[in-house]
Parts: sequence; C-alpha cells; structure tokens
Amino acid sequence: MQQVLEGSHAVAEAVRLARAQVISAYPITPQTHIVERLSEYCADGTLDARYLRVESEHSALAALIGAASSGVRTFTATSSQGLALMHELLHWASGARLPIVMAEVNRAMAPGWNIWADQTDSLAQRDTGWIQLYCEDGQEVLDTTIQAYRLAEWVNLPVMVILDAFFLSHTYEPVDVPDQEAADRFLPPYQPRFMLDLENPCAFSQLAPPNIYMEMRYNIQTAMDESLAYFDQMETEFEGIFGRRHGAVEAIQCEDAEVILITSGTVTSTSRQVVADLRHKGEKVGLLKIKLFRPFPVSRIRELTGTASKLAVIDRNFSFGASGIFAQEIRAALCNLPAHPPVYGYIVGLGGRDVTTEVIENIYYLTKNSTAPQQESVWMGLHEVNHAIGHPR
Amino acid sequence: MMEIRFHGRGGQGTVVATILLAKAFFQDGYYVQSFPLFGVERRGAPVEAYLRLDRKEILIRTNVYTPDHVVVLDDTLLEGVDVTFGLKPGGWILLNKPSPPADLEPFAGFKLAFVDATQIALKNLLGTRTHPIVNTAMMGGLARVLGMPAMTAIAGAIRNEVPSKPKANIKAAEMAYKRVRVLEPDE
Amino acid sequence: MATQKTQTNTAPLLIPCSYLTTESNKTGSWRFLRPQYEEKTAPCSAACPAGVDIPRVEMLTAQGLFKEAWETILAENPFPGICGRVCYHPCEQYCNRKEFDEPVAIHTLERFLADTASRYELKPTLEKLPAKRQKLAIIGSGPSGLAAAYFLARLGYQADIFEALTEPGGVLRWGIPVYRLPVDILEKEIVQIQELGVRIRCGKFVSQQFIEELKDTYDGIFLGCGHAQSLPLKIPGDDLHGVEDGLQFLGKIRRGQVPQLHGTAAVIGGGNTAIDTARSAARLGVKVLLIYRRRRQDMPAFDEEVEMAQEEGVEIWELQTPVKIEPKDGDLLVTLQRMRTIEEDSQGRARIQPESNKRQEIRVQHLFKAIGASAAERWYDPPKKGRGVLRLSNCVLVPQSQSAALVYGGDLVANIKSVVHAVASGKQAAVAFDTLFKDGVASIESTLQAEFVGEGPAISMEIHMGGPRSQRNHRTVHYEDLNSDYFRFSPRITEPRLLREERLQSFGEINLKIGASLAIREAERCFNCGICNQCDNCRLFCPDIAVMRDDNPKGRHINYDYCKGCGLCVVECPRNAMTLGEERLCNKS
Repeated sequence: MQQVLEGSHAVAEAVRLARAQVISAYPITPQTHIVERLSEYCADGTLDARYLRVESEHSALAALIGAASSGVRTFTATSSQGLALMHELLHWASGARLPIVMAEVNRAMAPGWNIWADQTDSLAQRDTGWIQLYCEDGQEVLDTTIQAYRLAEWVNLPVMVILDAFFLSHTYEPVDVPDQEAADRFLPPYQPRFMLDLENPCAFSQLAPPNIYMEMRYNIQTAMDESLAYFDQMETEFEGIFGRRHGAVEAIQCEDAEVILITSGTVTSTSRQVVADLRHKGEKVGLLKIKLFRPFPVSRIRELTGTASKLAVIDRNFSFGASGIFAQEIRAALCNLPAHPPVYGYIVGLGGRDVTTEVIENIYYLTKNSTAPQQESVWMGLHEVNHAIGHPR
Repeated sequence: MMEIRFHGRGGQGTVVATILLAKAFFQDGYYVQSFPLFGVERRGAPVEAYLRLDRKEILIRTNVYTPDHVVVLDDTLLEGVDVTFGLKPGGWILLNKPSPPADLEPFAGFKLAFVDATQIALKNLLGTRTHPIVNTAMMGGLARVLGMPAMTAIAGAIRNEVPSKPKANIKAAEMAYKRVRVLEPDE
Repeated sequence: MATQKTQTNTAPLLIPCSYLTTESNKTGSWRFLRPQYEEKTAPCSAACPAGVDIPRVEMLTAQGLFKEAWETILAENPFPGICGRVCYHPCEQYCNRKEFDEPVAIHTLERFLADTASRYELKPTLEKLPAKRQKLAIIGSGPSGLAAAYFLARLGYQADIFEALTEPGGVLRWGIPVYRLPVDILEKEIVQIQELGVRIRCGKFVSQQFIEELKDTYDGIFLGCGHAQSLPLKIPGDDLHGVEDGLQFLGKIRRGQVPQLHGTAAVIGGGNTAIDTARSAARLGVKVLLIYRRRRQDMPAFDEEVEMAQEEGVEIWELQTPVKIEPKDGDLLVTLQRMRTIEEDSQGRARIQPESNKRQEIRVQHLFKAIGASAAERWYDPPKKGRGVLRLSNCVLVPQSQSAALVYGGDLVANIKSVVHAVASGKQAAVAFDTLFKDGVASIESTLQAEFVGEGPAISMEIHMGGPRSQRNHRTVHYEDLNSDYFRFSPRITEPRLLREERLQSFGEINLKIGASLAIREAERCFNCGICNQCDNCRLFCPDIAVMRDDNPKGRHINYDYCKGCGLCVVECPRNAMTLGEERLCNKS
C-alpha cells in the first residue's frame, strides 16, 4: 500500500518486514528517526526483536557481531562520527562473514560540526569489506533494505544501505510498503550457514596464520564477486514479487549520449529531471546512476560508458589530497581499457549544500564545452572566503 | 509542480502541518514531497517547512527557493522574516491574523488571505493559552484559499495521523475553512 | 518464491572456525612463566610485635564475620580488648594504605571486635593441642605472664600463675588509668585465659627460696615480675612530704584511694607512666607541669598519649631537669636546670648537657617522680651472661641441666615496654619452652626463626601450631607490589572520643564505641595485602579460562594444562596474593 513516509521510516518499515531479531544502535542525528521508530515497534510488540541499548556505536556493532554469530537477523543504523567509531568492528563483521545490515545516513564529518548530507563518512569505510548500496529515494531505501538481507545472507557479508541526510532521511514522499506476506515470500527466515550452537560448540575467528589468512581474504573477494552476480538474480526475484527493480547501476539515456553524468544518492534524482530538461532542449546527455559501490560494478560501467565522449562524475564527497571518490573509482575502472572517454570530476554539495538543477546543468555545460579534463577536481560554487580567518568576505 | 512554503516557530506544528497536507494531497491523487528546513530544532525558533505537489512523480530533491504560495503560522514572524522572499508573483500569502495587516505595501503583487487560527485553536482547546497549536486551522484555511485539497482529505489525514484530539483538530480546520478572509490585491 | 529453499547456497565462505574442542590444545605447554597462588606477609602484621594476622582480621570484619575476626586476633594475642585500647599500634605506621590515602584504623577495629564479642558474650573457639605432661610456673600476672600462660595452655601445658598482689593483671590493673582501660575489659580477658585451664594464685609473694621449691614440681619457670620499682631522682629533697612516686599514685587511684590534690603538680619524666600520672593528676583538678630533660620529640611516651595530655591542659617543659627540691611554707620549691642539645644520636634522640647558669625555681604543691622503673628485686633481672644463657628478642632463657628451665620475660627484658611487647615476650617464652621440651635447647633459635612473621622478630603461634598461615611466604608486601587500580580513595574513620571538657571531669573511658556498619566500612579499606580475599580477578581476567573455581578453601586453582603463563592474573591481583615464577624447563614430565 502506498503511504506518505519519511525516508527514515521507510528504512524502519523495511526492517520490520524483514523481521530483524536483534537491533542495537546508538542515537546520532540524522539517523535517529530510524531506530526511534524501531524501538517503538519493539516496545509495542509490532516487531518481535530484542532492542539492545548500548553506550556507543562501537558497542552497538559489537553487540550485533555477537548476535549475528548466534545465527539471528540483525540491524543497526548510524551516521558520520558514529560510523567512524565503528570502524574497527566493521572489519570484524566482514572478516567474520556476518550478514549484518546497517542503514548509514550520509552526514558530514566534523569538525566543524555539520549534520548535513555528505558521503565521505561511508566512502571512508570502503575498504572494510562491507557491501555498499547508495539510494536515491524513499522507495529505493525501503526496497534495498529488504534486499540487503537476501544479499547479505547469501554471500555472508555485511551490507550498508546508504541514504543522504535530510534530502532523503527527513523527506516525506509516497512509498509503497509491501504487506508482510509478500515480504516473507521474498525473505524467508534466516538460515545461517554457521552459528554458535550450544549443542555443537565451536570457536570462530581464532588465529589465522600466514598460511591461511591470505586465502580467507581472497575468499571475501570472491564472495564480493558472487554478490555482484547474485544482485541481479535477487532483483529479478524481487521484481517478480513487487514489480520494482532499481539495478546495481542504472543507465538513463546513455546509448546515444555524448556526455554522461555519473551520480549517486539523491543527486541522481534531481539529475534525472535535469537530463530530461536538457534532452528536451536537444542536448545529448545521459545519466549513469551508481547504486552498488562495493563491490564496484566495473564491467557494467565499462559497457555503459563506452559510447560516450565525456564522463562527468559528480561527487558529494572528497578524498583529501586526491579527488572525488567516485571519480577515482571510475578512472580506475576505465584506465586499463585501450580507449575510454575522459573523466571529469566535480565536487558538489559537501556538508549539505544544496545541489540544485542549476548546479547540475552547469556541470553538463562545463563538461560539454571543455576540450580536456583538468587534473584537479572542479569544486562547484565555492564562495570566496578570507582564508586567514575563515569568514566569508 | 506547486511549491508551498510554511513559516512558523518551533513547537507550533509547522512541520506536522506540511506532512498532514502532503498526506491529504496524496489522498487527493497528487504526488507529494514534504520536508523541513534541515537544521537544528529548538522551541520558539523560526522554522520553515516545504510542500511540493505534482500530478506526476517529483524528481528534484533540492530546497524550495521560489515557492508558489506561502503560509505564515505566526504573524510575529512578519517583523523579522521576509516571508515573500522568492515568492512567485501572484502567489498566495495566508496569514494567521485576526485582521488584515495595516501596511499592505510588503505584500504588493501577491494575493493575501488571513484567518484567526490562534482564536480557533484556543476555542478548540488545542495546545495551551500561551502556546496554541494552530497548524490544523491553517490547513483548513489553505484548503479554502487554494481550492484544494478536499476537506474530506484533510479530515482523513488528521484522523489517521493526529493521535491527540483528532475531532477538535478537524473542527478547527473546518472553522478556519469557513472563516478565512481574502483581501483582493490592490492593483 | 521457492528458489531460496531449493537453491543451495554455494557462495564462497571460508572462515576461521573449529568444531574441535579447544581442550585438545593444551596451551599449558607454551608456558615459560608459572603463576601461582602464594600468600605473602602484610607489613602491618610483620610490624605487630604479637604478629597478629591483620589483613585476615580485616577481611573477615569486612565480610561481617566478627567472631571469626576476633578469634583470628586471639590466635596471636590474648588481649584484643586491652590492645584495642592501649596498644600504640605500630602496625598502622606500616600500613600500605598510608601510601594511598591514610592507614587503616587497625586498633579501632580490634577494639570493635573485642567489644562486639563481649557484648554478645561470645566464647572463642581456639585451637588447643592435646595435654602434655610438663607443668610451668609463671611468676607475675602482668601482661607477659598472662600471655605466657595463655599460649602455654593452648600448647597443652599446665600453667600456674603466682601473683604477689591481691588481684591479677599487674601493670594492666595498677598502672594504666581506667580512662584508657576500664577494669571490666581486663577482667573479661583474664577470665578467658583462666577458662583455658590456667590457674592464678594471688597474694603469693615469690621469694628466691620459693623459686627453688617450684623447681621440684615444675618443668619450667617464667619470670615476668615487671618493673614495679620507680627510680629515685637522686637529688636533694627527693624524700620530702609532697614528693610522690608516679606509679604508686596511679595504683592508689585504681584501688579507689583517690588523693586530694590542689594547686600545681609537677611530673618529672617523659615515659608513659609520666604521661599517665600527669593526665590522672589533671583529672583531679590541678594544673600539671610535665618536666622532661630532653626534647618533646625525644619522649619515650607514645605520641598520641602526649598529644592528648597536651589537649587536656598538661604543660610540657622540655629540656629541664630538677636539681633540688626544698620545702617552702608547705609547698615545694623546685630548682630546675636548663639543658641543651649537643647532638643527636643515631636514633635522632638528643644528647644533652646542662646549660651553665640557666636555673630557675618553681613553686609547686605536688611533685611526682616518673623517670622510669626497675625490677623490685635484683634477682628478677636476667643474668647478663652465663653458661647456656640464650638471649632471645623478647625473653632470656636459662636452661638448667638438672631442674626446671628459667625464662625471664616482659619488662625485665624489653627495650620497648608496651603491652603488645609483653604479649610477644609471653608467646616467645611459650614457644621456647615447647621447643625445649620437644626438641631440646639447640633447636630453639632455628624454630623461632622459622616462625617469624615476615622478617621477624614477631613470631606467630598459628605458624608454630602448623596452621594455614605457615604456608605463607615471609616476604613482606610493599605498596609497589599492589595493583592500586582496584582501590578507591576513602577517608579513615575518626574514632569518636569524649570532648576535652568531658575527659577532665572524670576517669571515664575516652574513646567511644563504633557501630558495625562503620567498622565494616573501615575494614573494607584494608588492602588485605598478600592474602586472597576471593575478589576473583584472577579468574575473570584469565584469557584461557584456566583459573577454575573449586571447593578447596582458596576457592580456585589454576589449570596448568591450559595456563600459558601470560601472568595477567598476577598483574590483576590487587593484593599480591599471587606470584609469577620461572617455569622449570628441564624434564617437565
């Protein structure tokens, strides 16, 4: 049934439909609405789950690692500094091959304090072995959260479902909330491939000396590869039940595009409008949405961008001393091809600055009118500031 | 696509009003999007919230800069906030005010309407004497001014979403619907 | 969809996981260092002349096991009620807690336990060895004689005490004022000794002749006649009317013959008798001058007593010595010679000499001599040398080849004359007799050595009797050996006392009782240095789950099949009750 739902609540509904059994989180804006709603569900019996109160995000994930090791479905949510505090255990969760699902609301890292949208927090965790899925609207958030459990439990890797602060987490819009019966059909009860069992005791995560550690790491990578393939199969099944499909990547009018804009998160949604408007004006522009960031869908991206003459990667994040992180990944994906379109990198919307249709249009025209990309990222719409004291002039 | 901006103060139910209206419009067959001005919430601080509606799916996810209409839940804001900022010419300004403003100059080029939502809220015992909750009355007033959504949709949204005193809230919306007064622009 | 059920999950999954029991991995074979439970000696107990097992007393008190705590004191000292009041508690000076905040109020807790036992009329369960054929005579019923009889009785010997005066107790009864030691406390603890089978015969003055007679019926004689004879001033006017002996003055008060005093009284001396005399005189309404030839800090009297005397109005005149006393209109005119310090000896005590031409006269109504005491009879003193004379730390043993051995104890041999030293003397004498009878004179010194608490010279009766304490390492626990992370700051209890004004109005006991909750709180401050109080840290911190709980009295043991010698348990033991030692690497089998 379609309802007008807040993005955060779309996550909470999905966790309810997934019948998560153990939930643990520590409050941080703008993630709070997700677990607030879930704690109400746990309290009033709507959801039959244990809600564990903890003293930090580190403890929240530690608690879920314990819970997931005992073979139950788990959920947590966090943002920004909270995710950073989890860092050590992010590695542990993936190394231990636990299918934990986390909602990560993209929020800028402090200082200065900033609670608004920025992807650097989750992208900084790209090497922790978590599958990362970036969403653009409430419906996708709900669907992806349910799908995340299928994916995680199939490949035994933890999954981060990622949504922009406020532009998605606090925005109300119509979302179709499936009924429980349909959700159960797509997501049957969790059948762990290993678990702590009092009847059959075992030890996990013990010493892995040099003669086996490398194989275990390689195994995680093969599981990542498997998840890439399994994603499509899983989505086909999802589509069969719910009639929706979002795609690990989605190409919009890319076939004949000269310039392809590459986006993730809510910027994609606004860009759809911009591309439609530009097409209306006769511009040959396409849009490539990247939803699955880990594993990075390299061959899909190569296929979909091969015909374009220029790629404009729009990053709401930045790796200091380098460039936008999606731009890096795209360049890395293409660089060993004999020929590929040049990659333009644009930095937008850090710390919640609005990415308007004008900004995106501007990026299109800058790219179109340029002869070759510059080495450095182009920072869009920077105000002139007095660097000595840091105030706008 | 229509964009409406709401001005109020923290604690008056401004954000809730946009959510309820979103649900009412959605019930009326519109595609909707509503969100607050993203920031830190404090009681009494000026707040803004936005509502977008369209017959087709809304794709843009940006702030609202050029609203079609403006709703002001607290007339004391008129002194410190430029409520007409970015407002499209000919757009409605709906004020919570017992009488028309003395100085109409700032509103030139727009359509002005007013309703004494505070009085209506007090009559229906919504909120307290010092902090009446005026949001549902203003929803009724807006429905009259825009000619949409249907009052049945507003009543439905309130019934489904407002846990406390739904009947009094529906009553307030209906009273405001009847009492709102329109000031024809003085061209 | 059915796919999920039918489709077998073949996604890659390689994890470190073992279904084998980890018990097969005997990590104990990795061990180079070996932790073990090894209780050690608390510095307080080594500093106690009676060697009381103080950390255990406080542990039991903290657990609310007051009877057991009281009995633990009684194992080493028959006088918890008396020592809880009059002991100068050297233990507290050595308390490790002193390095952390303030020492534990050990003497306050000792008194609390004795008071509690008395209040509930508890009868102690004391270890007593089977009866032996030897009998011992004890001359003098002061603290050393009583203690000797007590320990001998517990070792299975018949001990008979001969007391010259009408009632037993010696200095405890006649010398220590009641505001410090009420008579009923003394009597209770004497009765407790009698209940062990000790016989006390009062009013029997012992002559040298009688000693010879005793040798026929007894196998050993303990001489603990004390120092009851005050030393003379040896100055003109020493025998004037109004010049009195301090010890006799105290004895009179204890007999109820309270003297009438007026005006000003001078007390000559700096020992505990001088202080007791001064404070008693102050209670009888006179102004008191305490005249001492050295400095205040050189006084042999216990500091706390001197402080309280000053609080009660006693004026201390240091570096003054009387040279002449003359009668003057019924008063006494005392000429005082001013002294000066020329140097300090190795103990920091002043060496003095008269300062020329610095004399002054004072006029007083009373003068009390308290410059020390000696044995009333010359033959009470132990022989300086002689064949086979064994000079021990707290007594002198003179073995006789044909008849009963003689042991001199108590003040007759003591350097520091205190009740607890008298207890130490009586205990040492009892152990010496026991060893003499069992193993001969040659074994006495080595036996005592083996029974030291810490590095000695205090010895433990529990160790002598082969109790659990004999398993303890003699090494003393230092503050650095503790893991103070587990201790929280907590102020020392303030012992409630009568106000100064109240004290001067009567001979009522100054220190007041404390309640059980305060006592428990104070006892909890004790670090229990060197002994296990079952805190369980060793078990909780063991990463190999190699510390196992069990039913043995210690409550746990180390499973060396799995202990890989990381030493965490030893580090996390707050009280150094564990030791990490080198594993013997050769021939492990």
